[in-house]
Amino acid sequence: MINRTIAPEIRIPKEVPIQSAETITTSCGIPLHVIAAGTQDVVKIEFIFAAGNIAASQPLLALATNDLLDEGTQKHDSASLAEALDFYGAYLQSENGPDWSGVSLYSLNKFTQKTLPYLTELITTPLFPEKEIETYRNQGKQHLAVNLNKVDFLARRNFFNCLYGDEHPYGRMTELHHYNAINSRELSQYHKDKYLNGLKAVFISGKPDQETIQSIQNTIEGSGFQKGTLPEINSIFPDPGKRFIKKADALQSAIRIGRRLFNRKHPDYPAFSVLSTVLGGYFGSRLMANIREDKGYTYGIGSGIISHLHDGYFYISTEVGAAVREDAIREIYKEIGRLREEEISTEELNLVKNYLTGSFQRNIDGAFNLADRHKMVLLNELNNNYLNTYLDRLNAVMAPDIKNCASRYLQESDLSEIVVGQ
Amino acid sequence: MIPFEKFKLSNGLTVIVHEDHSTPLVAMNILYKVGARNEDPDKTGFAHLFEHLMFGGSVNIEDFDEPLQNAAGENNAFTNNDITNYYLTIPSQNLETGFWLESDRMLSLAFTEKSLEVQRSVVIEEFKQRYLNQPYGDVWLHLRPLAYKVHPYQWATIGKEISHIENAQLTDVKSFFKKWYAPNNAILSLAGDCTVQRAKDLCEKWFSSIPPAEIQHPQLPQEPEQQQKRVLDLERDVPNSRIYIAWHCCARKDPDFYATDLLTDILARGKSSRLYLQLVKQHSYFTDINAYTTGELDKSLLIIEGRLLNSTSMETAEKAILEVIESVKENLDERELQKVQHKAEATLEFNEMGIDSKALNLAYYELIGDAAECNRQADYYNRVTRAEIIATAKKIFTEKNCSVLRYHAKNN
Repeated sequence: MINRTIAPEIRIPKEVPIQSAETITTSCGIPLHVIAAGTQDVVKIEFIFAAGNIAASQPLLALATNDLLDEGTQKHDSASLAEALDFYGAYLQSENGPDWSGVSLYSLNKFTQKTLPYLTELITTPLFPEKEIETYRNQGKQHLAVNLNKVDFLARRNFFNCLYGDEHPYGRMTELHHYNAINSRELSQYHKDKYLNGLKAVFISGKPDQETIQSIQNTIEGSGFQKGTLPEINSIFPDPGKRFIKKADALQSAIRIGRRLFNRKHPDYPAFSVLSTVLGGYFGSRLMANIREDKGYTYGIGSGIISHLHDGYFYISTEVGAAVREDAIREIYKEIGRLREEEISTEELNLVKNYLTGSFQRNIDGAFNLADRHKMVLLNELNNNYLNTYLDRLNAVMAPDIKNCASRYLQESDLSEIVVGQ
Repeated sequence: MIPFEKFKLSNGLTVIVHEDHSTPLVAMNILYKVGARNEDPDKTGFAHLFEHLMFGGSVNIEDFDEPLQNAAGENNAFTNNDITNYYLTIPSQNLETGFWLESDRMLSLAFTEKSLEVQRSVVIEEFKQRYLNQPYGDVWLHLRPLAYKVHPYQWATIGKEISHIENAQLTDVKSFFKKWYAPNNAILSLAGDCTVQRAKDLCEKWFSSIPPAEIQHPQLPQEPEQQQKRVLDLERDVPNSRIYIAWHCCARKDPDFYATDLLTDILARGKSSRLYLQLVKQHSYFTDINAYTTGELDKSLLIIEGRLLNSTSMETAEKAILEVIESVKENLDERELQKVQHKAEATLEFNEMGIDSKALNLAYYELIGDAAECNRQADYYNRVTRAEIIATAKKIFTEKNCSVLRYHAKNN
């Protein structure tokens, strides 16, 4: 008979091998990174532009340009472009972030030579036809109107607004009327300024053949792309604040608590990221254990630390039963207070390091995940050996570091608090 | 293509192993053949509530998550109308921790009042968060009972109403476990850095001593053919109206599933699909429109859902959808068929990018017949003919077979 009360032995790797990206420097100086891995005969091709919200003078401009790239080019109208890509089973994914904008093509290898020209076309010669913009306006307004009825959406946007203010691209809020303001001329101009003159890098992942890599290099070199960089916005940031937004019929209240912080380049980043995991970064975290698994106030609660190129922030987020809102907030501050006052036990710290080691392994598993990690390093302008030294930095974090971080960065007066609901 | 080996323990546990030594990780998936369709109509939401309790400690192990996270693993679970599925990924050298944990909770749970009390609250908050406190969140709570009058698919996985969850008792929990959680009602699949031999050794060590149970899969009441069109009008405080039309269609296991699935792709997959092109782009009736099948073990639903612009009336919306549907019964060209076949092929390829989805796919195809079906899906899609899709459209899209949920925006 086996003794089921004894846990099997475990081993936690202190280093893991990481496949590096093969980097091709093109004649225009824009890097092309190739991550060849995986078992499937597919490829993902991602063009990244310095064209996210921070590059745009108006709300919605960056998003709308990104969303409407595939709505017609000099050669093909919207419908024939869609039909051609659909016919070859390909997918387009456009992603507009606070800093960067990306366009990805997912294609079966056997059709890449057919699908790639359409990708090239829509990133180099989009037309932004007024008729398609009108459809997009209707879609966007409806989508936003629905979101404005969701407590978590309202909490999130008010949180950013509270941290960064009305003027900063990270803080300004998109309203329904902004959809009326977008027009073909402005989108075309934004495309010219930030896409044609703003290519940051290109990533190919999956199992690309040599011909595909060569074709993409030709696209980069032959389309007149210029290298792009992001502006740094010097802003006066608002003081931490509290907002309560009443939504009378809400069954749950959304809560966001957090602050502006630093990004991955900061020396305290490793310790703070461990702190954030201890607090709310995994299923066994203190917030989950207390607010969900002990009190049953919520379906889920989490915290995280997000890096931008020139900034970063920390947040705690949850939706709780309206009747227990005050209790939940009190417990959140109590858990933050414990981090400031008590040193974390070796046992808990090791558990979190082990968990993060596993997360790191999962995050580099498979071609697309691995490409995303390499992309993160490049876009955050980190050292080339950042991934290879990740576990060293993680394992160097000690209990006093976490307590110091909490004292330094998580005083209650540092934190902003948003509640939406009742 | 996912090569695999399959074996069965003497207690009836089916095990499937896909070796992939290019990763240092293993995905471990355990599928239990029990879902919301196996619930008592007066105690719905139970399979899902039970899934939550599976993390509350087992007979010999106080907590499930902590030892797993300590071994650098991560896990989660989901419940639907047909199955309850648990999955984890873990570095290969710590795989035994996964076996230790999963086998102990298959053996027996700790069953504490505290765990039940907390998870009742958590699930009630989940009910609110996903179904009640979201615009349009309650659609499925109404659409299922409109389309199904007899079959247990008439309730959603979360349950009919919050009171069913509030009333769950520890005795119900224990009998549910006894009834469904046993090796002979489960499929275990592994994908990643684990050899077949190691899988056999670990299964022998941790699972083979768990006794099988008398599992009765009772004949579920089958939904009789619908005899007339059903309509339900709801009015809610939402920004725009939506329309949901549901037709009864075949089960996931039925050979017609592939033609049915491609039919929904022709209608609404991608921006070149018929409904999107004609009703979103050419006529601005909708801002978005979708079509899909629920693809469940018993007879399923084909759903079309449209998001209306405020300038579109509910009557116009329904009429416009039905007109496009009629067009499929009349013509379908070869290129259109090829397009959706390519799309299906790509979906299958991209769906197998990770070891976790490979493990899940193997277990699911074993459930519906044979894990080897996993590698035949692309063929099945490619064999579908135009005539079959047209015949399927004619069979499904009849007036008496349809249920319409008109979700009206108040003050509009």
